[in-house]
Amino acid sequence: MGGIEIHALGKQFQINNRLIPAVCNFELQVSEREFVTIVGKSGCGKTTLLRLICGLENADQGYVRLAGHNGKAFDQRVSIVFQEPRLMPWLTVRQNMAFSLLKENDHQKVDRTVNFFLNMLGLTPFQDAYPRQISGGMAQRTALGRTLCFDPDIILMDEPFGALDAFTRHNLQQELVDIFLSQNKTIIFVTHDVNEAVLLGQRVLVMDKGSIRRELAIDIPYPRDALSKDFYNLREEILRSVLKP
Amino acid sequence: MNAVTLSEKMIWVKRSIAVVLVLAAWSFCSVAGLVNDYLLPAPWKIADLAWKMICDGTLLKHVWISLYRVFLGFGITLGLAFPLAAVVGLNKIFFELLETPLEFVRHVPPLATTPLLILWLGIGESSKLAVIVLATFFPIFLNTVNGVSQCDKKLLEVGRVLGLRPFERIVRIILPSALPVIIVGLRLGFGYSWRALIGAELLAAAAGLGYMIIEAEALARPDIVLVGIISIGTLGHLLDSSFLRLSRKLIPWHEMESDYGRY
Repeated sequence: MGGIEIHALGKQFQINNRLIPAVCNFELQVSEREFVTIVGKSGCGKTTLLRLICGLENADQGYVRLAGHNGKAFDQRVSIVFQEPRLMPWLTVRQNMAFSLLKENDHQKVDRTVNFFLNMLGLTPFQDAYPRQISGGMAQRTALGRTLCFDPDIILMDEPFGALDAFTRHNLQQELVDIFLSQNKTIIFVTHDVNEAVLLGQRVLVMDKGSIRRELAIDIPYPRDALSKDFYNLREEILRSVLKP
Repeated sequence: MNAVTLSEKMIWVKRSIAVVLVLAAWSFCSVAGLVNDYLLPAPWKIADLAWKMICDGTLLKHVWISLYRVFLGFGITLGLAFPLAAVVGLNKIFFELLETPLEFVRHVPPLATTPLLILWLGIGESSKLAVIVLATFFPIFLNTVNGVSQCDKKLLEVGRVLGLRPFERIVRIILPSALPVIIVGLRLGFGYSWRALIGAELLAAAAGLGYMIIEAEALARPDIVLVGIISIGTLGHLLDSSFLRLSRKLIPWHEMESDYGRY
């Protein structure tokens, strides 16, 4: 139940009395349990696209349909991992992760779920720390954990590893692939790092001026070797289409 | 652990140095006869008088009445300022409607209204409580409004994405994120209320620390005035530091080193 159908989607912003199109005439079909990565220069509308999909912005044109079986509109759970961790400073790591389970009345179930993801993300020793006491990588992992506890059908990720150091980023990329393979999630992952896009996605979309410029399927099996010839060729091809004027 | 307790002890030593120096200078002046013993009695004479006043209950009676008024007035302010601030902070329209009258009242010192308050409410408890409410209302109200209306939009978006309804967002995100600012307002308001009360008691009262001082003036007893001043300062400091300790417990995630708005 994790498909997304986007048709003729458009969104403009008014800046200094000028209408700036952020997303225009955007078309996309994402099927259930697919991992799509979107790359593009900054300002190409990636973030706005994700915000439109999860309902934080209203579209000016077109629609986003979170399609269930037979293309019928379906009440799906969508969640987003933002560029910044956005943790509640007054809650501990554990409480931040449980924050997405506020509506769940079965406390044992909440504990089980939170313990499971704390463990998966290696955060168990830090579960009682407050956000200001942990590192940026741990904070981003906590934010990811909060989203996973919510158990959405669709996870949107907006450059979630952009602010992390290379080592933490590498580890989290591996973890994300494991999560994708072990949990039934549909993922749309936005990044400006071509390497990351090829490493993670089954399909890479190159976005420019609010719409898709190029689309490539990546059929290298996980886990991917960033030093292989195929990987290198795909990366160069995507990089060229990003840089093309 | 040892290092922590040692540095804590050092803080106490540092904090006591100024007090000890002032007491030493005062004692020296008294012994050397540099000051008139009637106008500024020696510290030990003040201590002796304070002890006598504690033993015969006069000091405690005045302290008790002043504290009672502060706590009651503070409680009344909480009941008024919190709901009003929540409504105003969450709705821009109310804020715009109330801005002018509130700005007007904010610039009137509570003590300036005392003559009117005495005319309207008499010299009983109500006029003193009214002064305290006027003095504490604005720090508490304005800080709560600020805290509530300046909640990080990014955290509110997290709530929206996780499907929290508007009321749940207020309880789960807006209020906790405003709590540190609200507590600054409470602490500030508490300090104001203590000062305003003493002022009100100086003008019209039959008991309380302020009254004790004004009565001592009439009796030409500077020593009692000094006991009153020292009691006011000491109690104010004690109340403020207990408040600080309490707020550290209430908001353990927050760095408390900021003394913003204390004075």
